[in-house]
Amino acid sequence: MDIIVAKDVRKKFKLKHGQQVKNNGIVSNEIDALGGFDLNIKKGEFLVLVGPSGSGKSVFLDIVGGLSTPTSGVVYLDDKPVDAPSEKTGYVFQQYALFPWRTALSNIEFGLESRGVVKEERVKIARELLSLFGLSDFEDRYPYQLSGGMQQRVAIARALATKPEVLLMDEPFAALDAQTREILQNELIRIWEGTDTTVIFVTHSIDEAVFLADRVAVVTARPGKIKEIIEIDLPRPRHGDIRSCSAFAANRHKVWGALKAEVNKAQQDWKHAPVNSK
Amino acid sequence: MTISNKTKAFLGSSIVPLLLVIVWQYVASSGYVASFILPSPNQIIKTFVTNFVEKEYALHIAASLKRVLIGFLIGTVSGFSFGLLMGLSRTAEKIFGPFFNVIRQVPIIGFIPLIIMWFGVTELPRIIIITVAAFYPVTLNTFAGIRNVPKEYFELSSVYGYKGLKLIRRIVIPAALPSITTGITLALGMSWAMLMAAELFIQTYFGIGTRIQLGRDKFNMALVIVGIITVGALGFFMTTIVEQLAKALDRGKIIRKET
Ligand SMILES: Nc1ncnc2c1ncn2[C@@H]1O[C@H](COP(=O)(O)OP(=O)(O)OP(=O)(O)O)[C@@H](O)[C@H]1O
Ligand SMILES: [Mg+2]
Repeated sequence: MDIIVAKDVRKKFKLKHGQQVKNNGIVSNEIDALGGFDLNIKKGEFLVLVGPSGSGKSVFLDIVGGLSTPTSGVVYLDDKPVDAPSEKTGYVFQQYALFPWRTALSNIEFGLESRGVVKEERVKIARELLSLFGLSDFEDRYPYQLSGGMQQRVAIARALATKPEVLLMDEPFAALDAQTREILQNELIRIWEGTDTTVIFVTHSIDEAVFLADRVAVVTARPGKIKEIIEIDLPRPRHGDIRSCSAFAANRHKVWGALKAEVNKAQQDWKHAPVNSK
Repeated sequence: MTISNKTKAFLGSSIVPLLLVIVWQYVASSGYVASFILPSPNQIIKTFVTNFVEKEYALHIAASLKRVLIGFLIGTVSGFSFGLLMGLSRTAEKIFGPFFNVIRQVPIIGFIPLIIMWFGVTELPRIIIITVAAFYPVTLNTFAGIRNVPKEYFELSSVYGYKGLKLIRRIVIPAALPSITTGITLALGMSWAMLMAAELFIQTYFGIGTRIQLGRDKFNMALVIVGIITVGALGFFMTTIVEQLAKALDRGKIIRKET
């Protein structure tokens, strides 16, 4: 059963006066971010989006999350068109976006507060999540007292606290060092495998995509649409050492094969982008 | 034994005033300058003591304090509300923004003749001047603080259903708080600065400014200097309180990120 269905989603942005861009060779003052995005996501699936920079991945995520509306086309969530943020959705940002005036515990409680969950229950849920991420000793710390990796764990915990059906993660590990990044990937996959949450995860790292995903969807250079979907045939539960097996490398190769041409295309696009004279 | 950092900082910050007093005492006692032009630190201390033992000086201080506090409070509250309005609503910004930005270019002192014409030589125009002085920095910093709230906070808020007053109280104000408290601290400084203008340009019986004027009229520079020191000390004292308050409110250490 598909929990998310995106049908021919298109998104254009009007540029500021005097700004121009080339869409398929035609100069225009509107930018085509998404150009007919079709994607079906199964319930409980871990879907990873990869694609060149500027290909509309974040724009697509915003549309799924109801933070932005498509110019045309529809995204269905549980068979209902998305037109506003839904209680079923959780969001994790690249820059954590923790509230600096709240402790780790109270950051996690944030989403529950507006849903009428009583204090006692909120704290219980938040503590469980903290312990799941090995952060029990840090519940009373403020974000400035936590490392980047810890902050992102708290941000993920905040998103999980409301038990979302769909979790949207936009390059959540991009700001972390390589080691912390692998550790967080391991933790995320361990925790996710124990839930039935559907995840849409955006990354630029092919390793990360292959390690986490059930399927990797490769997005074309702008205007973004799905170029190819690659099933990752690695067994679950997955552990960190799977990264060094040959099946992993084979999957990696497949994803890169589909992505390479798009990355090159995007680079050409930038080279030939009209320069604004003013 | 090691000297604590606080002590070090205190000793460090005392060097300049100390040197100043030494040079000053030297120049004053050398006889090159008439004592009514530059009284020696000695004379100042004497004037200080005689001033502070008389009850009247307390009344002058109280009158000035009252003025500053009332003006500062009204200016802060209204500046905060106005900054909030312009920060939250692009329409309000379009309507009020340009006018506000033009009018705040005019030094407040420029308005004094007008204000006196309208309200007479009374307490009201003095307070108005101080209010306006406090109003500008609070408005500007509240506005800027709100406009700099990361867009992710708004996205999270809409994802989790924070709207209206709840959004303002729980997200917007806490996120803008460092900027708002900066504005308030600046406002306090401006209030003290404008207090002097208010008291010197709009004659009054009571106020530290009145004393300074009296000193000038009597060629008693010791009186003037004691007035200046009083204003400086009180201003410093109040600003410190407000700064400490701001720090205490800022539990997430947004303000002191760099330290
Ligand atoms: N608010 C906006 N106004 C104008 N153009 C926008 C806006 N948001 C996105 N775009 C444009 O839409 C295109 C897609 O942007 P998007 O952020 O989705 O890319 P992305 O695939 O997430 O890239 P990255 O991998 O670098 O994060 C880009 O060319 C971007 O410049
Ligand atoms: Mg992006």
